[in-house]
Amino acid sequence: MKERAHADRMKTEGMPSAERLSALLKGEPVDRVPFLSFILGFCARNVGYSVASIYSDPEKSLQAQIWTKEQYGYDSDPFFGYASYGGYEFGGEIGLPDGQYQQAPSHKRFAAEDERAVEDLKTPDARTAGMLPLAMRFSQAQVEHAIAPSVVLGGPWTVAGNICPVHTLCRWSIRKPELAHRLLRLATDHLVEVVALWVDSFGAGRVRLQVWEPLTSNQIVSPKQFEQMILPYEIEFHEKILAKGIGHILCHICGDQTSNLPRWAEVPMGAHGIVSIGKEVDIIAAADCFGERCIIAGNIEPSLLQTGTPAEIYELCREAIIKGRRARGGFALMQGCEVPVNSPPYNLYVMNRAIHDFGQY
Amino acid sequence: MATEERTEELVGELYQAVITMDDEGARRLSQAALDEGIDPYYALTQGLAKAMEKVGQLYADHLYFVPELLLCSDALYAGLDVLKPHIRTGQSDKAKQIIIGTVEGDIHDIGKNLVKIMFEAAGWVVHDLGKDVMLQRFVDEQLEIRADVIALSALMTTSMLAMPTAIEMIRARDPRVAIMVGGAPLTRDIALKYGAHGYARNAGEAVREAQEMLKRLNGSHI
Repeated sequence: MKERAHADRMKTEGMPSAERLSALLKGEPVDRVPFLSFILGFCARNVGYSVASIYSDPEKSLQAQIWTKEQYGYDSDPFFGYASYGGYEFGGEIGLPDGQYQQAPSHKRFAAEDERAVEDLKTPDARTAGMLPLAMRFSQAQVEHAIAPSVVLGGPWTVAGNICPVHTLCRWSIRKPELAHRLLRLATDHLVEVVALWVDSFGAGRVRLQVWEPLTSNQIVSPKQFEQMILPYEIEFHEKILAKGIGHILCHICGDQTSNLPRWAEVPMGAHGIVSIGKEVDIIAAADCFGERCIIAGNIEPSLLQTGTPAEIYELCREAIIKGRRARGGFALMQGCEVPVNSPPYNLYVMNRAIHDFGQY
Repeated sequence: MATEERTEELVGELYQAVITMDDEGARRLSQAALDEGIDPYYALTQGLAKAMEKVGQLYADHLYFVPELLLCSDALYAGLDVLKPHIRTGQSDKAKQIIIGTVEGDIHDIGKNLVKIMFEAAGWVVHDLGKDVMLQRFVDEQLEIRADVIALSALMTTSMLAMPTAIEMIRARDPRVAIMVGGAPLTRDIALKYGAHGYARNAGEAVREAQEMLKRLNGSHI
């Protein structure tokens, strides 16, 4: 990686981000590989806010993300979401990130820890549950800033694993599958209701949706269990929300989901959807699996962003772009999961530089 | 007193009970082993523990996953509950000790718990400090326990940053203890960079890695 003149580094010719993303989602040509960023707490710290404010203060959260996007030149819009979604919404408690080693909300108490609690559970009111009122305020602020309103949700299995502890869900999935199915049913119904609320509030075709599904990783469940127990709910969820007027789903299949890829390819993502993959999944394997139907986004290792050198990240991006350019459905460079809040800022900038060097079409 | 043939038959069934996630079977067979005069330590090491070693391998080979591993461990503990009170003091006196915990800032403990299970099954004395463990607590516990190994876990990329600090703090007070790290965002390169002696990619590899790490370190100056 050679040093560059400042003017050269900052060149920004080409399609505006909104145009580039719109073309990508329509399957139309783009000028270069788009740059999507999975970035939340980093933005808060970047502008001098507390990391917690990204989750607790929608206006500050949006502002921090708008400024950070401007600074680093990625194409994706701000969003409001957290990976432990579902626990708080179904009646549990979460804690906001605090201290130097945290970057996301975490569980303090689960909504259901035993069979009785699962039997008593009901789908919460999407207008008032958990963080959803804050998420709605964030979307309203997005609209005020001429940004497409978005909503970020967990997938059914991840929400089920946030309502009760993951180890409990894992045990029930084999010993008491009826409880696991009940949680999946409640989660799926709730998720559809949330999307319906957003579509009713902002209009069909306007809402951008992200679904994060880390707990279906093959580091946790087998491909067989994914196929037989979880997949029907994923398909139902996506079919229902697409029918409600969601055009494109960005589905983040976190962790090692290589063995699940053929099954994920059965899940409708919209035309076109984006499948965001982690560092554990090979870009070419994903691209082959989803063909022309989905855009592949990924898969720069977040821990390398935090601990690696700029040269290492630049090389990793170069390799990803070269692989991604072969994806028939399109490719976007993206982190494999959230940008760690403590990443050296230059490491994030290097991703943009790699795109300008290797991502031109 | 069971014959050698009967002993092997029962111990083999105990092994199968764990592998097939049969906690009731493991409890019943452990009681049968006691009733028939089989050495409980032998039943534990050759039946339950050996089975868990196999389960760890199945997990590392992606043939078993977290649900299966958890249910196998339930069977292991069902058998252990029956056998352990009858194991004579002294039979496992030389057991190695490990302090384990998820580092400060991280509340994810499923991976740490799986590693704990594997060490317990292998006969180690495990001191589990839980999750979101303040770094000083690893130091304090080590000064009291003088464990052979300290294992630090993190699932979050941000919280893994606590590891080099923890390693430095522990080593400042006990330079001889072996320290290993694990968790989804870690790699062997990062583990080395952080100053850890060992790294395990998953629970199935953790005990073997700890043993090899101790061998390596005992051959050096530590």
